[in-house]
Amino acid sequence: MNPILLEAVLVCYAFLLLLVEAFNSRMPRRYFGWAAVVGTTVVFFMTFFVDSSKMNPEAGYYGFYAADTLAILFKRFILLVSVCVLIMAIEFAPVLVRYLPVEKPDAGSGEMYSLVLFACAGMMWMASAQNFVMIFVSVELVTITFYVMVAMMRGNRASLEAGIKFLILGAIATSLNVYGIAWIFGTLGTTELPEIGAILQSIDSSLFPSLLFGFGLIFAGISFKVAAFPFQFWVPDVYQGAPTPVTAFLSVGSKASAFVVLMRVLESMLSNSELSSKILFMLSLVAGVTILMGNLSAIPQTNFKRLLAYSSIAHAGYLLMGAASIVSGNSGPAIAYYLMAYLISNMLAFGVLLVVGKSTGSDELVHFNGLGKKSPWLATALTLAVLSLAGLPFTVGFFGKFFIFSSALQAQQFILVGIGILGIGCGFYYYLKVIRAMFWLPASKEQSISSPIEISKPYAVMLILLSISLIIFGVYPEPIFNLIP
Amino acid sequence: MDIANFAEASATLGHYLIVSGLLFGIGLMAVLLRRNIIILFMGVEMMLNAANLSLVAFSRFHPVGGGPAVDSQVFLFFIITVAAAEVAIGLAIIVALYRAKQTMHVEDLDSLRF
Amino acid sequence: MGKWWGVMLEEYLPALVHVVVGIGFAVVALLTNFLLGRAGARSKAKDTPYECGMLPAIEEQPRFSVKFYLVAMLFILFDIEVVFMYPWAVVFREYLEREGVLIFWSMMGFIGILLVAFLYALRKGAMEWSR
Repeated sequence: MNPILLEAVLVCYAFLLLLVEAFNSRMPRRYFGWAAVVGTTVVFFMTFFVDSSKMNPEAGYYGFYAADTLAILFKRFILLVSVCVLIMAIEFAPVLVRYLPVEKPDAGSGEMYSLVLFACAGMMWMASAQNFVMIFVSVELVTITFYVMVAMMRGNRASLEAGIKFLILGAIATSLNVYGIAWIFGTLGTTELPEIGAILQSIDSSLFPSLLFGFGLIFAGISFKVAAFPFQFWVPDVYQGAPTPVTAFLSVGSKASAFVVLMRVLESMLSNSELSSKILFMLSLVAGVTILMGNLSAIPQTNFKRLLAYSSIAHAGYLLMGAASIVSGNSGPAIAYYLMAYLISNMLAFGVLLVVGKSTGSDELVHFNGLGKKSPWLATALTLAVLSLAGLPFTVGFFGKFFIFSSALQAQQFILVGIGILGIGCGFYYYLKVIRAMFWLPASKEQSISSPIEISKPYAVMLILLSISLIIFGVYPEPIFNLIP
Repeated sequence: MDIANFAEASATLGHYLIVSGLLFGIGLMAVLLRRNIIILFMGVEMMLNAANLSLVAFSRFHPVGGGPAVDSQVFLFFIITVAAAEVAIGLAIIVALYRAKQTMHVEDLDSLRF
Repeated sequence: MGKWWGVMLEEYLPALVHVVVGIGFAVVALLTNFLLGRAGARSKAKDTPYECGMLPAIEEQPRFSVKFYLVAMLFILFDIEVVFMYPWAVVFREYLEREGVLIFWSMMGFIGILLVAFLYALRKGAMEWSR
């Protein structure tokens, strides 16, 4: 089966859902959500039947689309993320409807599912992009869809404010990206990544200033999506204001696909050692500052969603540490494994946050007090998620950090590893704050007499599956490691 | 750039790139310094069009085969399209914000504090 | 005048005259008004909006009709679609015998995507209240 059919089927299905949703106003909207889940699962199973002769990067379609093993792996990753996000969106729909300023109830909430599918298709295209033009177009598809999703709760001022901040800063990052691609094209004459790698091997060093300028601008644009140092200011506000499923999607899916693009661009540059040493130096600086900034800013937070936002900046810092040590051969697999671990733990954390936020109406840490007594299963799930994010052994997050740190040591980035260890120490503090709130602090009066938190059955199944896989892959990381090329 | 032969100098690649860099800088200054959200958006559009200008300049001054390089011209179309889509969505969000908060100034967006 | 940056300048003389006359007209009109007109004293009552001689009604925020924005946005998006169709129609003329089917159906696919968007906008009522 031709690999372009994957995204084509997904996009056509999303259009079908959109049209049916527009023409049919009587069906409850969550049926569209479940239809979207079914469609995404079908495409996930289709990825196992991709024609392996087309998986060669050289057989790419006019150099734009390459479905090699890394691309197929990330497509499956993004499809899994989308399934989780769709289930979360179905659970979150009542809150969403409350903030939509329309007269008919249930109107305006069905598009969220189609938008998630569009963003998923865009990220799948990002995973197999081999050309700067394709990277640009797919990144823009994802970003523009996210503008709509972040500002979806039109009656909620926080959501709109987050949307505007995301919009303006995202537009600046897009224009930086485009300007960088323009300079790279002007200097090298081509926008295809494999050709750029070939030309860079034997290039005159008098062209370095313009090349560094171009690559610097492109990294500035990418580091916006990745939440790296100079451009991470949008992350706390946007993550806090956006609807929780959208925040989960942003933090896992958008970051992962931006990292795939970063890895591909870095690979194309590696053929020239002078150029790459300068750029890797810059990357390691950015990684160190990002780790410090993310961890130190998360310490005084009192809002759990904002704390998770700052922690995702810190995780982006660890991933960049892996990217900066690309000279050691195994940093690619390390980053891929870390992203899998991040997927499981982050989705679980946001999953519990969604339910607690829905029942108490706010995401502050004080609302987690006494959760251990009220719903022990939820508290256990959140404990597991948070410990995995912190990197405790026997959770899947531990192995992620282990592989990244070992590849950084192999690339001799000792200062960076030191900063990373400092960051992990800070991380333990603010992650354990949540555990303390759940198990040690007593609940306030009105919370202890309110009813236990209700979760729908499929949602509970998703949370249980995520928790189990967190522990299983924490003691036995082989299955995931075998999937990575 | 030879100032002595001003009357006979033709526009080289450097001239176009400097103009495009200036446009980019002006757009960036507009985004950083202005209060009105719509002016910020105009600055962003200006930055995108500065990149367009440099792409066209590269296309003309680095000809491939018989004619100008076509890759960057195709990329240019995509940039224009994406800019239009971004503007459509951005203005929708700005309209929704105006209806909710009756303000057009960036400094009034302060409900998401540290 | 000769050559300047490689272009014969005499051809652009009408454009220069046009610009000078346009700007000059506006400047002369404003100057005449300033010099010859008698500027009266400005008072608070003179600055209120004119409402056929009645006292101005309660100060209200102007209600924003979203239909204007919707029409403009839909126009821009479909205009960009047409922008893509012009070069497509012109550039592929030589390749039409070999790959005619691919060329035609790829553009039809693009138009199909925008058709879905059009049907959605039609159904959600974006095209009403403005005619």
